[in-house]
Amino acid sequence: MLSCGGMAPISFTGADPAAALPEGLVDTQGTTVIAVKFDRGVLNVGDRRATSAHAILYDRADKVLPLDDYTLVAISGSYARAMEVVRYLRHSFKYYERSQLQPMSLEGKLAELTRMVAGNVASAMQGIGGFIPVLSAYDLEAEEGRIFFYDGLGARFETTEFAAAGSGSERIRGIFDYILRTKRPFHEMALEEALRETLTLLDIAADLDSATGGYAKIPPIAKTITQAGVEELPESKLKEMIA
Amino acid sequence: MVFTPYDWNQHLAHKSDYVEDRLREGSPVVAVSFDEGVLLLTARKSQRKIFEIYDRLMYSAIGNQADIESIRIASIDFAHQEGYGRSPDDVTVQRLVGFAISPALKRAFNDATSGPYVLRAVFAEMCKRPEEDLFLTLNYDGEFSVLSGGAAIGGTPDHEEAMGQVLSSVTGDQTPGLGQAFEIALHAWAAGRMQTGEGDETPESTDPETRWKSFVKEALQTSIVEAAVLERDTRRDRKFKVLDTSPYLDTILGG
Repeated sequence: MLSCGGMAPISFTGADPAAALPEGLVDTQGTTVIAVKFDRGVLNVGDRRATSAHAILYDRADKVLPLDDYTLVAISGSYARAMEVVRYLRHSFKYYERSQLQPMSLEGKLAELTRMVAGNVASAMQGIGGFIPVLSAYDLEAEEGRIFFYDGLGARFETTEFAAAGSGSERIRGIFDYILRTKRPFHEMALEEALRETLTLLDIAADLDSATGGYAKIPPIAKTITQAGVEELPESKLKEMIA
Repeated sequence: MVFTPYDWNQHLAHKSDYVEDRLREGSPVVAVSFDEGVLLLTARKSQRKIFEIYDRLMYSAIGNQADIESIRIASIDFAHQEGYGRSPDDVTVQRLVGFAISPALKRAFNDATSGPYVLRAVFAEMCKRPEEDLFLTLNYDGEFSVLSGGAAIGGTPDHEEAMGQVLSSVTGDQTPGLGQAFEIALHAWAAGRMQTGEGDETPESTDPETRWKSFVKEALQTSIVEAAVLERDTRRDRKFKVLDTSPYLDTILGG
């Protein structure tokens, strides 16, 4: 039941490890999170559903989380483990900056996240606590957004246009390429257009994947990073787009 | 060697003299609460003096660089352990100084086998409303005072008294804005610094405002004003910001 992203080169195939777990110990998971570039930075959207085995546990989960004013992480997989990692990284980045009197480099932040994912492999293999992050950042020097995705072992890849993770991301993988070929690159789109495309992608993922929440009742989460930092798009704007 | 109660007394007195002697020339630091945050201000030569400790905490000190740094790191360590282990809401200046830093300083001061910390520090905590903001001034022997509205540390009690007078003359019912808080802080800094008796060329009879402003102008020949704020209502994660002081100085000192 590990919800690895469709782009994760490794996959946990064979017998479902979580099936062996006692009831109640099954991870809260199941997700589609998407990161795309747009003309002023990076846009992240995520559905709100948290599941445990076949049960829907929560419909207001926030899977797109700021690590600092210029870094967002979108998480898929085990919610418990991922939230702890986010909390740890937030403190780690702040601690570094305050004690060393200089911000941690983007490379340094990526390496810390790698360590978190790689350190988690043993327990992920046993079916508990596996998670796959997508990290988005705004590079203030180059004045552009950057997106990095990971596999379950901690390998990290930079993407030029988009990344997605979670059980629903496998279903929509091809649509990204279709958009790139038939419309235009995400990084040339204005926020409005990029948001419309990603919301459609998320809607399709929700249609095709039972662990991805639709937005009939509650709109998804959408956050951007631009030169001005991280910003959450208001629910009213998302409702307007969806309607 | 026999260590009598008299020796113990002498030893503390010696230490105290030693530290006071080294603090005397320190450039004062002033803290002022304003409507949209908290301000720390000082003037310095080269080394940075105002630091972020945690989400809503900042710190500055006068004294020995290494000691200032030790206390800064100890504070950051404590605040982050607490904030990570519990919640950022549980990190308060009262807990940080009262529980972690002050007792350790006191122990170091009393220890006959080691040198004392040469430092006098001010911690500022920003709260939801300006009247809730807290300032703690901490002495090298672990003694600390809790203040609200504003606070100041200087080289001697005389310096601090002169600064306290400036602060109390302006901390009325009205919470100042940032521009006004900056001027209050700069005025208080000058009042404290003028107590050293150096660099004050203007005659006593000059109007007090002209006098402190010309004193600041004079001081700016050899040092720079450093100021930082914690911003109360920012939506950014990082509330701490080092200010670009030149526009404020231009307004106050007239270009």
